[in-house]
Parts: sequence; structure tokens; C-alpha cells
Amino acid sequence: MKTIQITTALIAMIIAMGFSPYVTGQSLTGKQIIEKVYNRPTGDDQTSNLAMTLINKSGAQRVRKIKQFTMDLGDVEKSIMFFLSPADVKNTSFMNWTYDSDQSDDQWIYLPALKKTKRISSDSKSDYFMGSDFTYDDLGDRKLEDDTHKLLREETMDGKECYVVESVSKDDDYMYSKTLVWVNKSTFVGVKKEFYDEDEDLLKILSIKEAEEVSGIWVIVNSEMKNIQKNHRTTIILSNIQINTGMSDSKFTERMMMRGM
Amino acid sequence: MRDKMRTKGLVLILLLIAGQYTKAQNLDISGFARTYEGVLFNTGDFGIVQQTLNLNFEQRGNKVAFKANPMIYLYNADSLNFRMRELYLDLYFDNFDIRIGKQQVVWGKADGVFITDIVSPLNLTEFLLPDFNEIRTGVIATKVNYYLGNSTFEAIWIPQFTPTERPPPGSIWYIQPDFPVTPTWDFSRETITPGLESSEVFLKYTALTSAIDFEIMGAYTWDDNPTMHVQKEFGVDPVTMLPILTGINITPEHHRLAIGGGSFSSEIKGVILRGEAAYYNGKYFLTEDILQPDGNIQKDYLHYLVGLDFNLGPVKLSSQFIQQTILNYDNNLLNEKTENTMTFLARYDMLRETLHLELFSYIGLTNEDALIRPKITYDFDDSFSILLGSNIFVGDKKGRFGQYGDNSMAYLKIKYSF
Repeated sequence: MKTIQITTALIAMIIAMGFSPYVTGQSLTGKQIIEKVYNRPTGDDQTSNLAMTLINKSGAQRVRKIKQFTMDLGDVEKSIMFFLSPADVKNTSFMNWTYDSDQSDDQWIYLPALKKTKRISSDSKSDYFMGSDFTYDDLGDRKLEDDTHKLLREETMDGKECYVVESVSKDDDYMYSKTLVWVNKSTFVGVKKEFYDEDEDLLKILSIKEAEEVSGIWVIVNSEMKNIQKNHRTTIILSNIQINTGMSDSKFTERMMMRGM
Repeated sequence: MRDKMRTKGLVLILLLIAGQYTKAQNLDISGFARTYEGVLFNTGDFGIVQQTLNLNFEQRGNKVAFKANPMIYLYNADSLNFRMRELYLDLYFDNFDIRIGKQQVVWGKADGVFITDIVSPLNLTEFLLPDFNEIRTGVIATKVNYYLGNSTFEAIWIPQFTPTERPPPGSIWYIQPDFPVTPTWDFSRETITPGLESSEVFLKYTALTSAIDFEIMGAYTWDDNPTMHVQKEFGVDPVTMLPILTGINITPEHHRLAIGGGSFSSEIKGVILRGEAAYYNGKYFLTEDILQPDGNIQKDYLHYLVGLDFNLGPVKLSSQFIQQTILNYDNNLLNEKTENTMTFLARYDMLRETLHLELFSYIGLTNEDALIRPKITYDFDDSFSILLGSNIFVGDKKGRFGQYGDNSMAYLKIKYSF
């Protein structure tokens, strides 16, 4: 059984790189820009299918398929994932509860072969998710105050006017020395993000390739993370997205983890 | 020979039926095929030559689900073993579920140790070496789960008792009991007739909360291992005219057990702390006390564990301390008053989770023996993997692990999942 240990729902990435519907005319600080990116509406609940493709430097591909559900309950966001493929992780499920407060996430994994739901540690932020180029931290909803944000410049990226904001973690042991994010000035959409390693060399680039509006909420449906140093990459494609369906809290229980979708 | 032919025929018929039914009903089908060969270090002989086909047939609906899990083992060249590991029906209601049929039930928070995990008996015909998902035996049971938020009340009724499976004589895992004279065996009381009075009942309450997960359980069951009731026969030595042992009659018999226990799991600063304990009321133990006419005495017994799971950089580590204690101990018992064991697990995944290095060990602290299990797995792709490993038994020959010192082996598993 491959290690499947996740820090939060992949949907959270969309929050971090998402959209804000309004534009202010005033000049903004780096922190204000990132705050607008983080605080975009995501709906009360979301359902989607996710296909993650791992592509190595020779072009060989491995595909992981997941069905995921997310629900915002106010002070806690709950998510649950069901692994559909490959065969050796099929019917495995993962549940995550993320809190608005400083409390650490709670995470459980259900392994069908062992017929057991296990609590797992959420302290593996720098591990890579299912062998992909996304770390658990990349996929998690990072808090605004975790980093110092600085507006570096404004420039055009892919024909879009963008802010370029540098974020440096306040934690000296953080896996990245800094990140640079290009934010669309008119929509506050993240367009691109660069990740620098501890030696301040460029490590990875996240590119947002496509977004679509579902129930009035913009969702990134196609993105790619490329490891520049090792020359492999991972794409994530979302499909069958449903938002605000009136999901029940009972979806996020051990019963559902064991029973499946 | 006739039994083998019958088994093969049954397997073939089941596969044909399953294939047709799958086509007709659009069942979800998955499983794996595996070849598994082990070579003993001592002799160079093959200790294990096993080919396995595992099939899962599942159909899930909103109200009803069905699962069948036949597993076929081919040992050596021509010894076919068919097992229906699970065959059950699920019924889903608003606040409760019912599962009826042959099923495997897993309880507790321990890894590789069975404390409150006593519903499904174990198949120990290959000691503790099979994967933990293959070591349990399915039981025919009715299980009802009632849900209240993140709490679950579980009740299980098992009408037919299933004992632990032991290695048969001739197996490299069979340990010949040491008797001063050749014993005679009386198996007339070993089998328990199915019926209401002989059924087993298990109850459990589970809570999954932000701070802690815990389970509280109780069981009125049978001891999965039979008690060996011993009758000794004495004669008179014609030379010394002293009494001498002339015969031993052994009668295996399962006895009722009442068991209570629980387990918990919680995260503290990135470390998972786990614990599990069970209290056995009136378990039988062998004794040399001459006042006990059949060589056994009932004692209460405590079995518990504490464990930690944590990460050291990219390496995942886990360790458990286990203690078994006989309460109100007397020195005539053949078992030690306490037996302490530890487990240790280290795992490192690399090359984008295609290469996995793992070391798992049982360490017997009381008898200073161990089972050390290093292994390396490489995933050629998502469905095809190769595993090279070793089972190394070391230490005191009287210990649970050291007794298999001659069975240390290297092995290879090649697995195709679908």
C-alpha cells in the first residue's frame, strides 16, 4: 500500500489561488493582495472528481482518480476523499477537519484492506502527496499570518496585468525560502506561483491553465506543478463540480469513510 | 485426492458463475494475482511456494450492497486451497446499517497485535507472516451499527464459533509439544455445536472526535485457543517401587471468556499516541499445581499496549510496547507472570513513491528474541510491484519468535493488482 497521507482537500488549493470578484482602485500592500486571494467565496459545500497525472521526465504517466466532498461549517471545514484508482488504493478514503483557529488539522485514513480507520498526523507538511509534485502544504489553506508578504512589482503575465507578491515564511524551518505569486489585478486570480528551495534556487512552478464558473463561483479546473530541478510534473484536472448542493454534515463521518460514496 | 478434485471443481464453477454474473450485473470487480516464494537460510529449501488469486466482487447501492471475496491459494505444485474470505450483504438505513454474512471485523488501535481485535479469529498456519489483511478468518455473523453523530454503537452476534487456525503437523510452523511420554489425544470436546446457547456476542461503542478517538468494548465469547486439559496416569516402577508417569491424556476444549476493554488514539504535537487494553475474566492457564486435577487453573488476565507514530524527516516511525500480565499469579503456572514485547516500524518512500523501504520487528523483551522483517518494494507501475524481503528469527529458542530460528528466510513477492 502506498503511503497516502494528505493534509487537506485539494479544493483548498483553489482557495489559495482563487478569485475575488471586485477590484479596488487604491494601491494595495502585498498582504492586502494575498488576503483578497485567500478570502474569496468558495460556497458552503463542493463536490468534484479529480484526476491527478504524474508525468516523469521521459513522459511516462501515472494517474490517480479521486472523488472529493468539502463542506464549510463555519469554524471548521470538513473534507472527505474517496480514492477510485489505481487498483491498490481503490476504496481508500481520507477525512480532514481544518479549523479557523490555530488548532492543528484532524486527519483520518480508512484502509479497506486493513478494514481500519486510523488517525494520522497532520505534521507532514513537506511530504509529497501520493508521489506527486504537490506537497501537503502546497495543497493546504495556508494562513495569512504565516508569511510576510511584499509587493515586488506589477507586470504583464500571459496578457494579464498582475501583481507580483513575494511571501517569506516566518518559520525559519519552512521548506521554501520564498514564494512568488502572480495575481491577476482585475480578478485577484493566482496565475502563476514560483517556489524557491532553501538555497533560494527555483524549485517548482505552479501554472493555472483553466478556470470555470460554477454556481457563480470561480473554480480552477486545470493546473500544473512542474519541478524545475528534477524535470517532472503533475497536472490536476477537476470535473463534475457541484457547489452549494445542501450537503449534510453526516457525510463527514467514519461511517461514510468505511462505506464509501 | 478426491477432496482436492472437489475443491478445484468448486473453484472452477464459482469462477465461471462469477464471470457470467459480473457480465450480467455490471459488478465492480478488483483483486490481485501474486506469486510468493521463500527460501530458508538454513537449508536452501523453499519454505514457501504460494500462488494466490484474490477476487473482490462488489455491488454498491444506496440501500443495499453486496461483497464476495473468494481467495485461492495454490501451495507448491498442486495443493489448492480455496477460501471465501468474505461473503455478505449490507443493508443501509437512515441511522443504522446491518451486515449479514461471512465477514471480517477489525477492532482496536494496535498494529500487528491483537488485543481487543478478537471478533475475527486468526489464521496462524504461517505464524504471523501473512499480511495483516490476510491473517484474519471471516466469521458468519450479523452486525448492526447504530450511528449518532460521530459515535457508533456496534453489536455483533456470531451463532457459530470459529477457532484460531493452527499449523498442522508437518508444517515448518508446527511446534511439537514436549511431553515426557507419548500422549493420547481426545478431541471429543473440542468442537462447539452451533446454537443459541453457544453463540458469541460482541458490543462496542466508538467515538471519533477532534481531541481523541476511542472505543469501549465488551464480549461474551469463546477462547479462540483450546485449553489442554491433562490427565496423567501413574504406575509403579518395578525396580524402585516408586510411582512413575505412564501416560498422558490430553483433551482440548474451548471455554467461555468474558472480556472488557477499550482503545484510544490522539495527536499531540504531531505525534500520534495510541493505547489499547483488554481484561480477560477467567482464562485458563496450564499449571503444575498437583491440586488442579486436569493441569489447568483459571486466572484473570490483562493485555495492553501503548504506541507512538511519528515522523523523523521523511521517515515514518512507529513503536509499540505490549504487556501481557496474569493477575493473582502463582508460581506453579507454566506461563511467566508477565510477558513484554515491543514492535518497531520504520518506513521510507522514495522515487515519487515507487520505491518503499520498510523494517518491521517484533522484539520479545521477556525471552530476548525477535522477528525482524526488512523489505523493499518497487512499483513498476500502478498495478505491478515486486517485493524482496526477509523474515529473520533470532534469540532464545523458548521464545515465541526464537523457536522458529530454523525458519529464517528470504522471500520474493510479485503482485499484479487490477
